[in-house]
Amino acid sequence: MLGMLGAGSSAQAAADLELGRYLATECTTCHRPGAATAAIPNIYSLAESTFAEVMKGYRDKRLANPVMQNIASRLSDDDIAALAAFFATVKAN
Amino acid sequence: MPKLTRRHFTTLAGASLASGLFAPAAIGQAKPRVIVIGGGPAGATIARYVNKESNGAVHVTLIEPQKEFTTCFFSNLYVGGYRDLQSLTHNYDKVRKEGVNVVQATAAGINPATKTVVLTTQERLPYDRLVVAPGIDLKFDSVPGYSEAASEIMPHAWKAGPQTELLVKKLNALNDGDQIVMIAPPNPYRCPPGPYERASMFAHVLKTKGHTKSKILILDPKPTFSKQALFLEGWEKHYPGMIEWQDPKMHGGIKGVDATTGEVKTDLANYKAQLVNVIPAQMAGKIARDAGLADQTGFCPIDPETMKSKSNTDIFVVGDACIPGDMPKSAFSANSQAKVAAMVIRAELTGARAFPARYSNTCWSLIETDENVKVGGAYEPGEGKIKASSTFVSQKDEAPELRAQNYKESTDWYASIVADMFG
Repeated sequence: MLGMLGAGSSAQAAADLELGRYLATECTTCHRPGAATAAIPNIYSLAESTFAEVMKGYRDKRLANPVMQNIASRLSDDDIAALAAFFATVKAN
Repeated sequence: MPKLTRRHFTTLAGASLASGLFAPAAIGQAKPRVIVIGGGPAGATIARYVNKESNGAVHVTLIEPQKEFTTCFFSNLYVGGYRDLQSLTHNYDKVRKEGVNVVQATAAGINPATKTVVLTTQERLPYDRLVVAPGIDLKFDSVPGYSEAASEIMPHAWKAGPQTELLVKKLNALNDGDQIVMIAPPNPYRCPPGPYERASMFAHVLKTKGHTKSKILILDPKPTFSKQALFLEGWEKHYPGMIEWQDPKMHGGIKGVDATTGEVKTDLANYKAQLVNVIPAQMAGKIARDAGLADQTGFCPIDPETMKSKSNTDIFVVGDACIPGDMPKSAFSANSQAKVAAMVIRAELTGARAFPARYSNTCWSLIETDENVKVGGAYEPGEGKIKASSTFVSQKDEAPELRAQNYKESTDWYASIVADMFG
């Protein structure tokens, strides 16, 4: 059994960048820096609050795309904060 | 360079497993070695991610005999005339430039006892962790009368490249009134919606040419298929009367093919077709089977937490060769599994943090121009397998704008995932 560290744990004071970096590998399948399109938008260098708001919108199914609803369905608030913090550090181009 | 001894390494790995924490392997000694067999979606992704994320702390070798890789995913769009084959063909130049040791060779065997891979040149390469990602082999004899030689007349085109070109050549040579028969594969197989997307592309080409007298017959060994309601709806809408699908109750069993005459026999009827596309049953690539990694199904059981082979904890089996639980065999799945395996490998070899395995997949299928449907899921370890935690599928009667948006999404996804795999 692997050591299950960090993911899903609550009450972390600061966003967990390492967790964000791991979770982000799921996003890079579709989202590349510098390759944003109308169908697959940019997720890099966004304000953390903007990123988090959009992800929660998909998680709550207020935003429509089923691919993103599916991805967001299992993300905790800490996961979203970690992803937002990580992607904020990566240049959009 | 000093060599990492097997005894030392095993001790470290054993200690890390026992404590649930990972210890860095042999700090101050030679770099730990990862060998990846197979440069497809799974193997290329793992090689890149272990190399990139370990900042050179792990020596990564990718063994792949081909200089260029043509993706099987999206090859139906070549069949339909939407893409050329070159746009689906990728090389390893960027992977190599990033620092992966790309070895253009064929792996002949694996010796788990000595932790070495033997090439067909007899060269032996030692590993600390091995990734086996050979994709599929075809069980030609699963359809009586079919063989590798027969596939030169009745192409399978289930591995992209010359077979796909042959299929398209035969498709483009058809005259109005000519018949196509496709024999679909039994489960489990690469790309569950693929045969039905391909039939759609056949119909698109025939319709575009005004071949209204031609017909496409799909003989299926399965009672149902992926996205069935969506395909049936799309066929009725765009190709009325052109595509006929028969399940085993309708054809009574597929008795065989004769490549010399173009005949296909079922229990209830004989057909003669100008194009026969036989997609036979499938199994894990030979090297995985020869190494004893496969079970009686022909595919390789894995630990859903790590993507490790259930029969050897130094070996990972990723992509179409593994038994992925609820996940389909797809490039998206292979890429997703590769990221979990890369994370575990780095944790074991460099002491990087380990995280819970998470997987995802989406499969897009084109039915007609701007008519694209999708199915997908999120997956996690559960009940001893990779288990779906949520799934979705396109709905019937969706707005044309949504279907067109799906197509745009799929082409943008293709551009991104091949960059994720091949740099």
